[in-house]
Amino acid sequence: MSAITKKRDWPTVLAAAWLIGLTILAFTADYLPFIRGYAESSPEGIGFSKGPFTSFLLGSDQLGRDVFARCIYGAQISLRIALFSIIIGTVVGGTLGMVAGFFGKASDRAISAFTDVMLAFPPIVIAILVTGRFDALRKNSEAFSWLSRTWSITFVLSILAIAPLARIVRAQTLSISQREFVLAARSLGARNGRVLVREILPNLVPAMVSVIFTGVAVLLIAEGGLAFLGYSIELPTPTWGRLIAENRNFIREAWWGTIMPCVMLFATVLSFNVLGDRIARRFDIREAAL
Amino acid sequence: MSDFLEVTDVFTHFETPRGQVRAVDGVTFTLERGKTLGIVGESGSGKTILSRTIMGLLPTRGTVRGGTIRYKGEEIQGRAPSEMRDIWGKQMAMIFQDPMSSLNPLMKIGMQIAEPLIHNLDMPKDQALATAKRLLDDVRIPESVKRLNQYPHELSGGMRQRVMIAIALACGPNLLLADEPTTALDVTVQAQILDLLREQRQDRNMSMILVTHDLGVVAGHTDEIAVMYGGKIVEKAPTDGLFKNMLMPYTAALLESIPKMNRPSHTRLTTIPGRPPDLVSPPAGCRFAPRCPAAQERCHSEEPPLFSAGSPGHVYACWYPVGSPVYREAIERRAKETV
Repeated sequence: MSAITKKRDWPTVLAAAWLIGLTILAFTADYLPFIRGYAESSPEGIGFSKGPFTSFLLGSDQLGRDVFARCIYGAQISLRIALFSIIIGTVVGGTLGMVAGFFGKASDRAISAFTDVMLAFPPIVIAILVTGRFDALRKNSEAFSWLSRTWSITFVLSILAIAPLARIVRAQTLSISQREFVLAARSLGARNGRVLVREILPNLVPAMVSVIFTGVAVLLIAEGGLAFLGYSIELPTPTWGRLIAENRNFIREAWWGTIMPCVMLFATVLSFNVLGDRIARRFDIREAAL
Repeated sequence: MSDFLEVTDVFTHFETPRGQVRAVDGVTFTLERGKTLGIVGESGSGKTILSRTIMGLLPTRGTVRGGTIRYKGEEIQGRAPSEMRDIWGKQMAMIFQDPMSSLNPLMKIGMQIAEPLIHNLDMPKDQALATAKRLLDDVRIPESVKRLNQYPHELSGGMRQRVMIAIALACGPNLLLADEPTTALDVTVQAQILDLLREQRQDRNMSMILVTHDLGVVAGHTDEIAVMYGGKIVEKAPTDGLFKNMLMPYTAALLESIPKMNRPSHTRLTTIPGRPPDLVSPPAGCRFAPRCPAAQERCHSEEPPLFSAGSPGHVYACWYPVGSPVYREAIERRAKETV
């Protein structure tokens, strides 16, 4: 332990600092004087007239809005979508995977067939189809009026997350339930529910944490891709993907409009990956010492 | 008095793509309260499957079970897990081979011992933890209070096996099945664990089935020994009687293959040639015949039943047991041929 604490692991520290800082900025943006207001159009910045590090921190966009402020507001939406969809994906996919891996037989066949089908579909096609369906649903039915684009994108991404997560959890559950301590728990009279919750679930966590971190990164990119194709939140709400998409036509005159959100997305995805990787390695050491 | 555990003609077969594997094939024995039975055999002789069959801890899919297992006069063979739950932990408990993998790595020692107490005996949590501490003292773990809050990876192998024993003892079982409890431990710790098991057995008046491949392990710690080969019991005798007078060539070969202290160094270890029989299609006659130094024609064609030897309780399955004229002659002839 001492060897690890003495030498600071800078990539991890930076990644964590970036994510924590970004989250705080994103969710307090409305109260921060240097962000609030800059997201609105301002005459002095119209037509990309201001570059980065002027009175506009990361330059201005076509309508005279500060790119930095837009990026931070974009982070709010992008992060929220990615986090919510990974949570839904983990809960649903994890449950399916545990059921399939633990009970096997018909449940395993059904769930594995489902995940195989899901994985065989091109994700972008599913996403476009489902967002279209959700839009129609909201317009035609009162009961679904809450289903804004934010939610429909969240659901689409969680559907995409379910299959890979279910697969990983199934495989892990299979291998953990063959371990001797599970048999030992059975031999002492533990029921299936107990075995699942007390013996298997905690042992799934280490693997899952790193998968979840990497998954968030993938979902951030996926959201960007959807936004790029035009399937994003209603205007004028920014997300990173939409910022990249809407400013890319002007990349020659004003690179900052596209590149800055790209950098944000890149740094965030990298941070999630670094953290996921470190967590995986950390738990590996513990497993190896077992 | 022999109605504590009666195992009669028990078999366990597994359906596999290659055919039916007869892992346990017609095993009969009885065990009295407070006694220890050692089950000895090499890998693949069915000894582990036999102990799991008694516990009822077998996969359900593709398993064919038969025969009767009567525990305290009640038939337990073929019971559903829901019916076995009254027995698991409270009546029978099992100790597994590898203490490295038989504890949940993410649960504190204290909770692992307390859980069966809380759930099987409805003990309140604080009382269960106090009992857990007492159990750790019983199995001679120093600083038991500190251990309650430690995780398995903080303990050594021997300590972990002690914890396993404490967990198995927690609900006061009457029958303890120890499946190679010392195989994964080094030799000095082995002796300690076996002594501990004996001591706890005597204190609690438990019966024990000690499964091992090591005749040395069972020698000092059992009342009776059953030698298994190819899914069957081939010789069974009270411990003293067996070592004085082994009749089955396989038992003799097992004992021969233990390195001896009094031989000069670099003596070749005696091994049993060949491999254990294929349990999908076992040999027609005696299952040990293909590897037996004294096998005759009859051994290859006709399966020997269990004969009773002179001393009480000693049975063996061999047409020409060790010491019989045919056996002695065959061994002498073989010795001449090799010279």
